[in-house]
Amino acid sequence: MSGHQVVLNINGSTVEGSVDPRLTLADFIRDQAGLTGTKLGCEHGVCGACTVLVNGEAVRSCLMFAVQASGTEVTTVEGFASNGDLHPLQQAFADKHGLQCGFCTPGMLISSYAFLKENRSPTEDEIRVALSGNICRCTGYQGIVDAVQHAVETDAAAVPLGESSGSPSAHNAKR
Amino acid sequence: MAVAESRKTKWVGSRVKRVEDPRYLTGAARYVADIALPRTMHAVFVRSPHAYANIRGIDKSVLGDLADSVKVFTGKDVAHEGEAGSQSPGGGVSPLRGRFGLQGLLRTTQHVIAPKTVRFVGEAVAVVVAENAYVADDAAERLSAGVDYEVLRPVVDIEEAIGDGAPVLTDDLSSNVVFQSKETHGDVDKAFKDAYRTYSARFHHNRYGAAPMEARGVLAQYDPAYGTLTVWSSTQMPHLLRSLIAVHLNFPEPRVRVIAPEVGGGFGLKMACCPEELVTPFLSLKLGRPVRWIEDRRDHLMCASQAKEQLIDIEFAVAEDGELLGAKGVFIGDGGAYSDAAILEPVCAAKALTGPYRLDIYEEEIIQGLSNKPPIAAYRGVGWTASNTVREVLFEEIARDLGIDVLEFRRKNLINSDEFPYTSCTNQVYDSGTYHESLEQVAEAVKYDEFRAEQERLRKEGRYIGIGFSSYVEGTAWGSDASAQSGMPESSHDNSTVTMDPSGKVTVAVSVSSHGQGHETSFAQVAADELGVNVEDVAILHGDTASTPYGLGTYASRSAVIAGATITRAASDVREHLFRVAGKMLEVDPDDLEIGDGRISVVGASDRSKAISEVAYAAYWSHKDREDESLPTSTRFYDPPCTYSNGCIAVLVEVDAETGTVKLERIVAVEDCGTLINPLIVDGQVQGAIAQGVGGAMFEELVYNADGQPLSTTYMDYLVPTATDLPAIEVAHLESPSPLSVGGYKGMGEGGQIAAPAAMVNAVMDALAPFGAKTRDLPLKPDYVLKLINGGAASANGASE
Repeated sequence: MSGHQVVLNINGSTVEGSVDPRLTLADFIRDQAGLTGTKLGCEHGVCGACTVLVNGEAVRSCLMFAVQASGTEVTTVEGFASNGDLHPLQQAFADKHGLQCGFCTPGMLISSYAFLKENRSPTEDEIRVALSGNICRCTGYQGIVDAVQHAVETDAAAVPLGESSGSPSAHNAKR
Repeated sequence: MAVAESRKTKWVGSRVKRVEDPRYLTGAARYVADIALPRTMHAVFVRSPHAYANIRGIDKSVLGDLADSVKVFTGKDVAHEGEAGSQSPGGGVSPLRGRFGLQGLLRTTQHVIAPKTVRFVGEAVAVVVAENAYVADDAAERLSAGVDYEVLRPVVDIEEAIGDGAPVLTDDLSSNVVFQSKETHGDVDKAFKDAYRTYSARFHHNRYGAAPMEARGVLAQYDPAYGTLTVWSSTQMPHLLRSLIAVHLNFPEPRVRVIAPEVGGGFGLKMACCPEELVTPFLSLKLGRPVRWIEDRRDHLMCASQAKEQLIDIEFAVAEDGELLGAKGVFIGDGGAYSDAAILEPVCAAKALTGPYRLDIYEEEIIQGLSNKPPIAAYRGVGWTASNTVREVLFEEIARDLGIDVLEFRRKNLINSDEFPYTSCTNQVYDSGTYHESLEQVAEAVKYDEFRAEQERLRKEGRYIGIGFSSYVEGTAWGSDASAQSGMPESSHDNSTVTMDPSGKVTVAVSVSSHGQGHETSFAQVAADELGVNVEDVAILHGDTASTPYGLGTYASRSAVIAGATITRAASDVREHLFRVAGKMLEVDPDDLEIGDGRISVVGASDRSKAISEVAYAAYWSHKDREDESLPTSTRFYDPPCTYSNGCIAVLVEVDAETGTVKLERIVAVEDCGTLINPLIVDGQVQGAIAQGVGGAMFEELVYNADGQPLSTTYMDYLVPTATDLPAIEVAHLESPSPLSVGGYKGMGEGGQIAAPAAMVNAVMDALAPFGAKTRDLPLKPDYVLKLINGGAASANGASE
């Protein structure tokens, strides 16, 4: 792919590329930046699995072209944790069983974070509305809603991304 | 009978947080599409736009300037027409002919790419391979225009398909009926003759699907240097897929390795195997390069296997007091274009109709037909969802008609706890359970009597609230026994290997395969209890045929029972081994030793002990103390007995009679899966299954027009529940350990989807009881609900009472 130079800041690192105009931001993040945490669930903007932050706003990266995102700051799920220690929002999902197969989880985290930045004390109904653009097929949403409520209690959105709550996480990511 | 094998537990039964979560939460988990191999090529399938057509020819010149950038394989290039195994390696892929040995089942021939005839919209006619996915998409689109079809008249409606004069889908057969059977239990005629009343109805159970968040995907790498074929697939059954690749490609099985990396949901859809899982390895073999195929959502909703469509004629005979006297059921499966796994749907439905009720007089008839739609296959609660739905819905109609409360009706007919083991007339052997208790607990949780008073009060204000119940049993632990009881006798095979490593930590390799169920946590809990270590000291290996023993993977709520038993038994062998080594070290009889909290100690003299790590080290390295014949490792086989979980679900709704919209107010579930390993994980499974059941009852439908064209190929058209569609889902547990399985474990995971649709429908019908509404079709979309409000019984094809 070639033609258009783009420069993005993704999770604090500069990523450059020469791309076709039709390359989606999602494919740029996954294939050119090598950050495969962002998932593709439908590629028509409904399921929300590919949600990332573009200049702080939650965006479906399957509906945006990489060229449109040039010059922006993008945050993906890989930008949440710090040296393996989970961000408090991530920890809330682990504590409340807010995930099963994990495929919708990156989008859920991003959407939740963007929402909690705007609304620090939401009701359960407001949480459900905020997450209604992200489909989960495993949990029935109960664990996810519980996790976001838990994150409200711990004011997880007050902790900048890339920082943990201070306590080491219960488990290290490994396989 | 082996309950005594279980030991006191520190971990089993605890809400242990999942050890696998951090990698998912940090985006580090790798699914098929996340695996990058050098020089990988991308495959895109060219798919038929017609439901039934012959392929006259494929003109590759339409590729134009893309011709040099891509490789094209048509059905003629890929399909091996002869018997499996008669081709040379690389000489083609033999067709899928179905694996089920059910007597009397006629088998169709499904080529992995159609060489001559296509039988549903979306069936592959060619595959295009390119250096990059965008170019492969371009080329596939161009090539679509180069396929010349002779369009045939499709048969889309199942009644037409199995009737006289319909076009027959395949030359192999003389009609579209591939299976038919009728079985009578007891004197059905007498039961119906003597009945106080009889009720009959025809239901159309909707066609819908699993739609996991990760669609299907395969990456295959043929390595000529080693003669090996490594296949990463989003599968639930890596070992069976390996065997099938070996058979269908005629490639040596020991040189095939299948890896299920992270799998983003399966729900039965990803049971081996789909055509693409055979074509992709074949392409790698032909091209000598890694090839990957990642399904997009449109293809998924168009041509991945679909589920659950049936026409069901049901009749019940009852006494004046509501006692069930007899039943008749005709289960007409709309199997789609090929016969492989579709037969599971009507067979499982017919066998399970009597559910948790005392109902010994029953006539069951099964008719399995073909139609020009994608093949039906497994999806959570195969067959059981449909039969539970029609039974529970008709029961509440009957109760209302007899003037008996819906709970009283069930109380009269549910099997009592002192009747276990109870063998149903269809030979389902219910091992233990809490059929009454779960109903009562749900009724109490929803404050049933108060609800009825409130309902009456609100009706006077023109508001319609309703409550619906659904009781269920769930046949679990799918092995030879469960499959025989379900009417689909097949043999089963599974193992786990438990190894004490020299460090004193434990490696467990299992034949079952996780796709989101948290196996690494639950199974570590079982092993940790058996070997006196902590959960974090246990590593669970799964999903890779190179590192795990043979077995059938994960489906049909089998894994907890199978892995629970095999791990318990293999760990017990390892424990005995360690006791023999420690006995030498401590100079005591091994029978006088116990294990726990990281140590092996003399019973009654805990000061005389060794750390497990010391004993493990000695078991490998001490000439004096180790065993001469073996390592501290054991592999155990288990073909489980069928165990029956049970439960009851209640749904509370309010229906807007002006618009037909339904507001879900509350969902309450009480489930019993025997010994709980991890209640946190069980909660999640119940909630997720209920959500899928609500989806099937309220929103989800794979719609086809009269030409067989799919009308629901995006998530804008195929609606799955979102967070605002569902209320909080309250789950409580009862525990009646199975007397048959090791540890008393029963499987779970499907009950929510089996039972929730009926609870949902019953709640809406209860709300609309003043209108005499009766559901005969699903899902309950607002326009259908309005019809029910305005016309009373809106029947599927003139069903009557």
